[in-house]
Amino acid sequence: MTTLLTVLLACYLFGGLAPLCLPRRSNLQNLLAHGCAAAGGVVGLALGVVGLLAADPLTGSLSSNIPYLVFALRLDALAAFFVLTISLVGLAASIYALGYMAEFSGRLSLAAIGSLLNGFLLSMTLVVLADNGFFFLILWEMMSLLSYALVVTEYEQPGVREAGLFYLIMTHVGTAFIILTFLILFQETGSFSFEGFRHPDQRLPEGLRSLAFFTALVGFGAKAGIVPLHVWLPYAHPAAPSHVSALMSGVMIKTAVYALIRVYFDFLGGQFPWWWGFTILVVGSVSALLGVMYALMEHDLKSLLAFHSVENIGIILLGIGAGMIFHTYGLHELAALGLLAGLYHTINHAAFKALLFMGAGSVLFVTHTRNIEEYGGLLRRMPWTGACFLIGAWSIAALPPTNGFVSEWLVFQSLFLSFQLPTLFLKLMLPIAAAMLALTGALALACFAKAFGMSFLAQPRSTHARHAREVPMSMRIGMGLLAGACVLLGLAPMLVVPLLDRITGSLTGVAIGAKVLALDGWVVAPVTVEFSSISMPVLAALLVGVGLLGLLLARMIGKPLRMRYYKTWGCGLNLTPRMEYTATGFVQPIKRVFGTIYRPTVKLETEFLEQSKYFIKHQRFEFHIEPLFEKYLYKPVVAFLLAMADRLRIIQAGSLHLYLAYIFVTLVLLLLWAV
Amino acid sequence: MPVSTHLGSQLVDLCSVLLLLCCFAIVAQRRLSACVDLFALQSVFLAATAALVAFLTGHRHIYFAAALTIVIKVIVLPRILRKVIERLNVSRELVMNVNVPAGLLICGALVIVSFFITQPIIPLGYLLTRDSLAIALAIVLIGFFTMIARKKAVTQMVGFLVMENGVFLGATAAAYGMPLIVELGVFFDVLVAGLIVGIYTHRLQDAFDSVDTSTLTVLKE
Repeated sequence: MTTLLTVLLACYLFGGLAPLCLPRRSNLQNLLAHGCAAAGGVVGLALGVVGLLAADPLTGSLSSNIPYLVFALRLDALAAFFVLTISLVGLAASIYALGYMAEFSGRLSLAAIGSLLNGFLLSMTLVVLADNGFFFLILWEMMSLLSYALVVTEYEQPGVREAGLFYLIMTHVGTAFIILTFLILFQETGSFSFEGFRHPDQRLPEGLRSLAFFTALVGFGAKAGIVPLHVWLPYAHPAAPSHVSALMSGVMIKTAVYALIRVYFDFLGGQFPWWWGFTILVVGSVSALLGVMYALMEHDLKSLLAFHSVENIGIILLGIGAGMIFHTYGLHELAALGLLAGLYHTINHAAFKALLFMGAGSVLFVTHTRNIEEYGGLLRRMPWTGACFLIGAWSIAALPPTNGFVSEWLVFQSLFLSFQLPTLFLKLMLPIAAAMLALTGALALACFAKAFGMSFLAQPRSTHARHAREVPMSMRIGMGLLAGACVLLGLAPMLVVPLLDRITGSLTGVAIGAKVLALDGWVVAPVTVEFSSISMPVLAALLVGVGLLGLLLARMIGKPLRMRYYKTWGCGLNLTPRMEYTATGFVQPIKRVFGTIYRPTVKLETEFLEQSKYFIKHQRFEFHIEPLFEKYLYKPVVAFLLAMADRLRIIQAGSLHLYLAYIFVTLVLLLLWAV
Repeated sequence: MPVSTHLGSQLVDLCSVLLLLCCFAIVAQRRLSACVDLFALQSVFLAATAALVAFLTGHRHIYFAAALTIVIKVIVLPRILRKVIERLNVSRELVMNVNVPAGLLICGALVIVSFFITQPIIPLGYLLTRDSLAIALAIVLIGFFTMIARKKAVTQMVGFLVMENGVFLGATAAAYGMPLIVELGVFFDVLVAGLIVGIYTHRLQDAFDSVDTSTLTVLKE
């Protein structure tokens, strides 16, 4: 294990430093940087699996001259699982980047981008391995700064710079709260090591523990993108190069999930009040629902995907929240189930979200636009990308038999099992959360019907789309890898659940793997078999079988299929792509139904010919939805800060004499005070 | 206390007071060239103090410091400053942030403050120069005040140099001078500062047609 870890770190370090030393041969730099990152991904996958199967955690540390700072690493089941997730996406993204970087060749330094990517992967891997609060914070900041540098890759565009600044501010506000959390824990335990934090014989007072719960939620929530701290996400994630977006949306926000589980179940574990879990549940369901609702209205493909990350983080939190509530009431098996569902969705989301971002990147690569309205008919021109994107869309919409379905189903099950809780209030609230999740699922399906249908089907709506070609092989391999992972994770819960069970087992103290998997793993039955169960392989076989049966029946009973190609009748007019159903049109009914939340504004400007009002020369349609949180939460805060800054500006007169006078007065006062 | 030591202590105090008087004269003076002359005079007194201390205590290296003071602060720097004044054709400080009577009153207050601050320290010392510490602090504060009260860059430089004299006197008074290497460094710094101010005022004149540092306010955000 130690060797694997060393090789992993060496791969990323070498990939980070070597391209910078090479002469200006961008192809070679590209190959070296992303080759090393891919090698690191392979080693990381191995390390993750070994770490999950190992009986004891691997630990190692290196002391430093700075007090409390110890470079300590610890690979336990939870960390190993996240290393596995990060490496899976990292591997696919690095292979994908080999081809995708052609986009930037000649314009920007490929060596710099490649080495930043290696550093980013390294810092993410180390964040989940860190075993010391101080060290964790350093790595956390490193991760944030490196990802910021990657977000502003295309810094010459003002929008990108703004998105980067926004991200930087939000992530640092989050870090401030994380520091508070660690300081609270430090105050009580006198140590920054994680071992000290989880020391069971020094219990914190109730109030302080709740404060730590809250600061951790805000601090890590800002990175995870929970509502209302999600506002930076739809700006920053799309601004980065696509393989970086895939990493940020797929795995970087998952490090926050890791940290939340670590803090709540590991450090503050044992017994906690019921409202902690309830808060997580509320935050989760609100994030899930609002995330998908805003995604629906988004016509920038990458922003749409970024909003879906908000949704999926919500779903993960629903599982974790349910687990926390069950944990409070001593229902350890159900707690383990909720946590397991959340973790399962974590790796699933990493796989399909990264896949979708890469798919969007491929489309962007050939069309140079992110606007869905300018796509159309891409499936015929890019069949591989289209197929991969379809698998991703299928998974994120939680349709069987893909991975999204399994984990969402598990989340549902853990929410429905609330009837075992003692209090009526929670018995009622958990099913309500489940209902919100159901609505989320339905809207997600609508959203991806839009995203896939408008992009890949029908006729091209722009010249870019008309001239689209399939992307290079390495990009197809990167996407194919994740598409395969999506299918595998969906069809084989019997491989995944035992691994996840080792994590939840170590955190909650009970192993449920054997109970969840009935009949040698062919059936997934959460805890109580009588309640509900499902078998993914059988379900998949059924779906395929029914499809084939239908075809067979049609062949046998129906007349032989005869196809005649002819033009669609268009009322005597020639059909053009302008007559196609648009994405805006597609979401119109949903916009109406949820008008109170969206608060849409529609602007229609019509210009007539001079001769008559019946002939329209030019017409312009615009519609916007109101950014609720930005307008009512962030704007006032920013306005307040600016007003305060304006007041303070009086002391900045620009006068040399005044500045000297400040120093002078301070000096004299300090001297007098010293006497 | 032997008579000679007592007399020496009196002499050091006398010189220190003369240094302080020069400060007051600078604050009261409107003509730039006179300010520079007064600074040179103050530096002469400083050198005299240093030489006196060197003679009384037998610390040879202070003679060296005194000689350097004469060369740099009495000869070189005033020459540079006079050249600047000549070239820029500014002879008088016309507008001040604080007028002369008010400035003198404030300086008086600063002297009182200095004595008040150093009062608990002075009895602890055993050096014959210990009483000069309060005066040194007063000179530093007055030099600082000059920089705030005057608008022309040249007078600000004089204020800075006066501050430096105060620090030098303080070092002599509190510890019989600094180690030689430090003293050399300080002299070098002062010389460089003088050269920089020469260039700086020139640029200021080019950019704003004035050496009034208030014009720099337009640079703020």
